[in-house]
Amino acid sequence: MKIYVCCKQVPDVAMTIQIKDGKFISEGMNYVLNAYDASCVEEALVLKEKYGAEVTLVLIGDEAGKEALRKGLAMGADNAFHISDPALNNLGSQAAAKVLQAFFKGRDFDFILTGKQAQDSDMGLAGGILSGLLNLPYVTNAVGLDVQDKMIVVKRQGDEGVEVLHMPMPSLITCSNDMNDPRIPSLKGIMASKKKPMEQVSLTDLGLSADEVLKESQKSSLKSFGLPPARKAGAKIEGDAQTLVATLMEKLTKEAKVL
Amino acid sequence: MKILVFADQKKGKVKKSSFEVLSEAVKLSTESGAEVHAALLGSGVKEQAGVLGHYGAKTVHVVDRPELATYINTPFVTAAKAVIDAVKPRLVLFPTSEGIKDYIPALVQKLDGAGITDCCKIRWTGNGVEIERPLMAAKARSTMESSHSLILLTCRAGSFETKEPNPSLKAEIVEHSVSFPDLKQIFKEVLAANTGKISLDEADVVIAAGRGVRDAEGLKLLEELADVMGAALGSTRAVVESGLVPATLQIGQTGKVINPTLYIGCGVSGAVQHTAGMGNSKVIVAINKDSEAPIFNIADYGLVGDLFKVVPLLIEAVKELKKNA
Repeated sequence: MKIYVCCKQVPDVAMTIQIKDGKFISEGMNYVLNAYDASCVEEALVLKEKYGAEVTLVLIGDEAGKEALRKGLAMGADNAFHISDPALNNLGSQAAAKVLQAFFKGRDFDFILTGKQAQDSDMGLAGGILSGLLNLPYVTNAVGLDVQDKMIVVKRQGDEGVEVLHMPMPSLITCSNDMNDPRIPSLKGIMASKKKPMEQVSLTDLGLSADEVLKESQKSSLKSFGLPPARKAGAKIEGDAQTLVATLMEKLTKEAKVL
Repeated sequence: MKILVFADQKKGKVKKSSFEVLSEAVKLSTESGAEVHAALLGSGVKEQAGVLGHYGAKTVHVVDRPELATYINTPFVTAAKAVIDAVKPRLVLFPTSEGIKDYIPALVQKLDGAGITDCCKIRWTGNGVEIERPLMAAKARSTMESSHSLILLTCRAGSFETKEPNPSLKAEIVEHSVSFPDLKQIFKEVLAANTGKISLDEADVVIAAGRGVRDAEGLKLLEELADVMGAALGSTRAVVESGLVPATLQIGQTGKVINPTLYIGCGVSGAVQHTAGMGNSKVIVAINKDSEAPIFNIADYGLVGDLFKVVPLLIEAVKELKKNA
């Protein structure tokens, strides 16, 4: 099997986020492989171990983005493509999908995996838009994957429970981090990753003009960043259980009036 | 100009998130002079279309077909596209659900529209919209703009005010016929259907279980509290991972975003991945024996105590209150 995983490098959102004058402060932030994409890499590796597969990573990003690809290679992916061009900095979902469409043109694969969203934008559109552009069936928010009789068995977290779907090959599947716990690269894996092929791809290589990407970017634009309105800490109530419950009931009925 | 709102429904009943989005569309229509339309997709949903009129939709577009009985993205994309092609709106608003999150990317692509998800503020600028949305696990907000010819937005639950319905307002109901393509994917089944009696994203009161519930015994206590309060049960990711509850009950960045009137977190520490999904609750109560737990930083009422001692007394107190009501 041939599996592609589309990855993104994102700031570590577990860290304190700093915004100044409407701008996101990237200094001091650690940049990591998007957690949802890491789950895709893990799942692809599990399928590779079970059935045999070639796992290829693709990432759009600047020079630093190579680190996220190295991480995936150190986990066990076979090779990687690094799509990099000055015109491709800070792409939105729709422009990223357009670039990836050009990348996949003429390539053979059984399926594409990508995170259900990027941890920085939390937008959740790129995967589904890419599958539309490639005219592939897709499913989002997968929490389980397997292959049976040349079909991909996908468990997806839906509104009413886990939906089980059989997808043909090729298809595109976006994955949740609830699917697995991505492995930590071993020292051996890290050493091996340095010798694995990582191919540089430019916009020209893709046969795409900066204008075509810009047209997608212009559909919507990010103006500024801010912090969410802070929620203040209220009353901390201490004492024995009787006191706690009596005080709470008093507060909920008389003060907040929600009971 | 037209604004089209896609209503979400469960078993034919329109979900309250739909009324919230429709109310916002009516508000936007006064700023922009737009006409408000609504759409309802599903199987056996026609009877419910009228209620959307009470919230201000002038016309309700219905696709009522057996192909839409079980959720799968392709038929929903087909039906939604057919309605949009017929109505020709400038702005399309959606509530948020796992189904809508699944089918909206394909819809944006097929219509060559501009798509933005999880909007919590929307302003009509005169030639488009300016929106605000949370990002980075709701630790930041961004302002975005679009003046594209077709803008599709999903709305974050609990961000907009729902107007009182006016039963004397009547909408014109228009049924659309749609031809569905053959499916390439095969739907097999739904596993582990929602166990909660009250659905989490619809509930006015939510009891959330955190790591502190420990085991089935602890969970049973919270189920009893949820029962007496008429509340829905939710949980953190840790509790889902322990296997105590199905993933449909997960609240947070990767789970459900909830906006109840009252949220009671029991043994919930308050990690950002969880608070990203419940920070919109009107009143937050936390019960945790660790007085340093981060949830106390956002709780309106923080009870420092052992949930195994507090919850049984709370159950009795609520029973007493209901008896006297």
